[in-house]
Amino acid sequence: MSSLGRIADAVDAYNAHVSAEVTRARTDAKFAADLRARWAKIRASIETTHSPTGTPLPRLALPPTDEPGAIAEYLFGQGLPGEFPYANAAYREMYLDRETTTGEEPMRLFAGLGLAEDTNARFKHLSTHQKSLRLSTAFDGPTLYGLDSDHEGVLGKVGEGGVAIDTVEDMTRLFAGFDLTRKDASVSMTMNAPAPVILAMFIASAKRRFGPGCVPNLRGTIQADMLKEVQAQNEVIFPIDASLRFLCDMIEWCVPNMPRWYPVSISGYHIAEAGATPVQQAAFTLSNGFTYVELLRARGADVNAIGPRLSFFLDCGLDVEYLVLGRVCRRLWAIGMRDAFGANTKAQVLKLHTQTSGRSLVTAEFQNNLTRTAVELMLSYLNYTNSCHSNSADEPFTTPTEKYATLASHGQSIIMEESGVFKHMMNVFGGAPGLLILEKEVEQAILAVFREMDTLGGVLAAQEQRYQRSKIQEAGHAYEQQIYSGKRPIIGLNKYVTDEPMPSVPLARTSPKKQRLQVERLRAFKKKHAKSAPAALQKLENIARGKGNVFAELINTVEVCSLGQITACLTDVVGKFRPMV
Amino acid sequence: MAAAQKPRPPAPLRILTAVPICDGHDSAVSTINMELARHGFEVIYLGYHCPVDVIVRAALQEDVHVVGISSYNGGHIVFFKEVIDQLRARGARDIPIFGGGGGTITKADERVMQRQGTDRIFHAGTPLADIMAQIRRDYARPLKPNSKLRGDRALARAITLAESATVGAALRRDLSDLRSGQSPSRRKTAPTANARSFVVGVAGPGGAGKSTLIDELTSRFLRQNPTGRIAILANDPSHPDTGGAILGDRVSMIYAQDDRVFFRSLATRGSLTGLSAAAPAAIEILKKSGEFDLILVESVGIGQESDPFRLFGPKGPLVDAMLFVLAPYYGGRLQLQKIGLLNGADFVALNKCDHPMAHTARAEIAARLDVNGKGQRLFGTVAAQHHDPGVDTLYAALADRGGLTVTPGGEKPCQLVVAP
Repeated sequence: MSSLGRIADAVDAYNAHVSAEVTRARTDAKFAADLRARWAKIRASIETTHSPTGTPLPRLALPPTDEPGAIAEYLFGQGLPGEFPYANAAYREMYLDRETTTGEEPMRLFAGLGLAEDTNARFKHLSTHQKSLRLSTAFDGPTLYGLDSDHEGVLGKVGEGGVAIDTVEDMTRLFAGFDLTRKDASVSMTMNAPAPVILAMFIASAKRRFGPGCVPNLRGTIQADMLKEVQAQNEVIFPIDASLRFLCDMIEWCVPNMPRWYPVSISGYHIAEAGATPVQQAAFTLSNGFTYVELLRARGADVNAIGPRLSFFLDCGLDVEYLVLGRVCRRLWAIGMRDAFGANTKAQVLKLHTQTSGRSLVTAEFQNNLTRTAVELMLSYLNYTNSCHSNSADEPFTTPTEKYATLASHGQSIIMEESGVFKHMMNVFGGAPGLLILEKEVEQAILAVFREMDTLGGVLAAQEQRYQRSKIQEAGHAYEQQIYSGKRPIIGLNKYVTDEPMPSVPLARTSPKKQRLQVERLRAFKKKHAKSAPAALQKLENIARGKGNVFAELINTVEVCSLGQITACLTDVVGKFRPMV
Repeated sequence: MAAAQKPRPPAPLRILTAVPICDGHDSAVSTINMELARHGFEVIYLGYHCPVDVIVRAALQEDVHVVGISSYNGGHIVFFKEVIDQLRARGARDIPIFGGGGGTITKADERVMQRQGTDRIFHAGTPLADIMAQIRRDYARPLKPNSKLRGDRALARAITLAESATVGAALRRDLSDLRSGQSPSRRKTAPTANARSFVVGVAGPGGAGKSTLIDELTSRFLRQNPTGRIAILANDPSHPDTGGAILGDRVSMIYAQDDRVFFRSLATRGSLTGLSAAAPAAIEILKKSGEFDLILVESVGIGQESDPFRLFGPKGPLVDAMLFVLAPYYGGRLQLQKIGLLNGADFVALNKCDHPMAHTARAEIAARLDVNGKGQRLFGTVAAQHHDPGVDTLYAALADRGGLTVTPGGEKPCQLVVAP
């Protein structure tokens, strides 16, 4: 049995345990009395707050019951916010009264366009009103595939859909003017196959700017989720085992050296965007997460050391399952980590970033996308996501323009700051009848997928058999068919279509002049380091051929080598990824 | 005999689909591929992250009616133009290109792209049925003999004609035309009647890793023969009801992307032998061209049936040697006895031999071959592993049998330590 089978069994066992505790609460007077006493103590600890119109409210809403069975069901089945099994939230207070506390806003906006200085300017614009500094970086296609901007045939893609980064000097331009060592600064990078190289550039650049001692202060996340790349997003450079080795090298280096950094963001977003249903998204994401834990443990890592350093990233679309997807994932992760891996409290908590669904947005009558994103934002916050990105309405046809990026950002502020929904009370909706029904259904469906993959030999074996890819493609095909048949209404596209012409929207495109400038900068860098680069690459190659930690060496290599030079060197050692259809 | 005169139904439209370099969005193109195959088209799919030269080379070698490119992450104006420019530079102005990219390719972009030679863009919301109807209406046309074609395109067209020719006389006539006059480009040394190509049939059950092994063998050929050329004929089944096919073998060819490789995908089009009915003619065309030192012919996934390479050759076997590829999980000793191809194979590769079942499999197969008493050789390979020494040994044996150049030292040893 692979670990997935054990995890599914652990969840069943936990659910049976909850049922047994509910029965015991109703039959064992002493246990019932203990529960009532605990319940009363919790109630007594909840402070009262007032809405702007004067309504008194508890900061934490609890089910209005004193029945021991219902108390047991709530405390063990869902858990208080911040308590096992974390269905309600990862932390006790989450979004409450951020104006008056030091808490950081959950808003994190993804940006990347043109050259490093263009993205830098966009960062400055987006962070104008942010109390804390939360940046999130999108990279262009060549960077995502580990190619230099002067690689044959990629010029048109330089700076398109994300920022072009070839060298450590570009990285310095990207974050110029931002103090990355601030306590409340946090940088996210959507970067996978070349993640070790890009993070090495980030570290090398920070050392240049803030001194060699700054590394432990750097805070943020790099996506680096290679399993979902193989299963869905297709940005893979090296064979799978080599990709996983480079990733594990990076995680192992970050755990002791960068205590504030999340070196992998286990992502369902791209799985869902590629076609997966919400259940598949959750099942594949969680099972990938458990696989990383297994891989790292097999290399000797301590579950309690790595558990808190993992973060998760889910898509939130408009399907009804999204009412509970984050809640169910937190619960399954906590039970699996605790009962199948023996993880301690800190290592059980699934920390969640959510992004509204890009796939749900359409070009036809695109201003409707503002409404779609607003609904998805509500769903994301209902699941108490730890951070959130809202898509721009113009995304189906362009890298977000400033106007729509601003509207997307303000959408979050309207929900979180203007509206009172999330400001005063935690747990406003948890325990609602519809949510309970959905949670059970979704959880059981996820476990069924776990068991199916278990029979195939686990995540890696299933992946080799193309199980996840084939399921995702099948679901994507069904989704498209539903749109064509009208079974899935998309307003303005297949329902209530008006003949309103597309308004002309300025597109954010990178000019050929800028693309050439990037190539010139890269060539100047290569020329400057022409003498030192070969020795640096040779050293990297030797480590890659042996057992050393490749990431530790990359931090040196990036001082004199470009991304493309490093990719070519490593490809020479480990070969290329053979795509799966 | 009368049946031989009956014309075949028109040959299916062949369409090349791909996603540009640095773009991994294959969701839309997967849907389109399935739909195209359902409509009876033959789809040669190149996968995502495809460089311009890979698309252009495939378009020429596969002799497609049209190229469809699905682009979702920008840079489409430049990319489409580069494909068109390279097609034109290589004498294939007549192959049209269409594209799609959801909302990322705007109407204004389409106008620019059309000026640069793109035929059309299918915008978001175009019903699949409309896309299929327009493709059939605008791109289906019989591909005719064309004496102006040169190089790989001429070879490709000759194979197309062999594929679409009616059974019997017409096919023979086309072949003799090819031999007599409208010949593809030949190297300076004219081919002799005794063409020097070494032809190897590659058969084995689906999923054993034939395509991967062929790619790895090709990479060794390219490294060890600095100037030679290799041809690969990849046979894949047509859908029995629709007649369409998704020919995806090129996707997993990561080292075989080189102008020294001629790769052609053949759909079986109703042939039940494991090879396209045109395979013998295609082999003949490739041999006669005098271009190729090595020709690999991959059958569809087969096992217990008779040997496709012998079945076809009334005048002796179709190939000079046969490589049978299987994976360790063939299902036990009794199953092994049923694999008739193990009798005809000159070389047997037990691929995925890092699998836990490989130890037993290797002993069982060795015993089975021993009973045959034909001196057949068994090789353990892990084609999916970079620089696999088993593949090195297999290639050396093939090269030895075929009299191919072997430049030693082409391989770098690799003691890579990877994740557990």
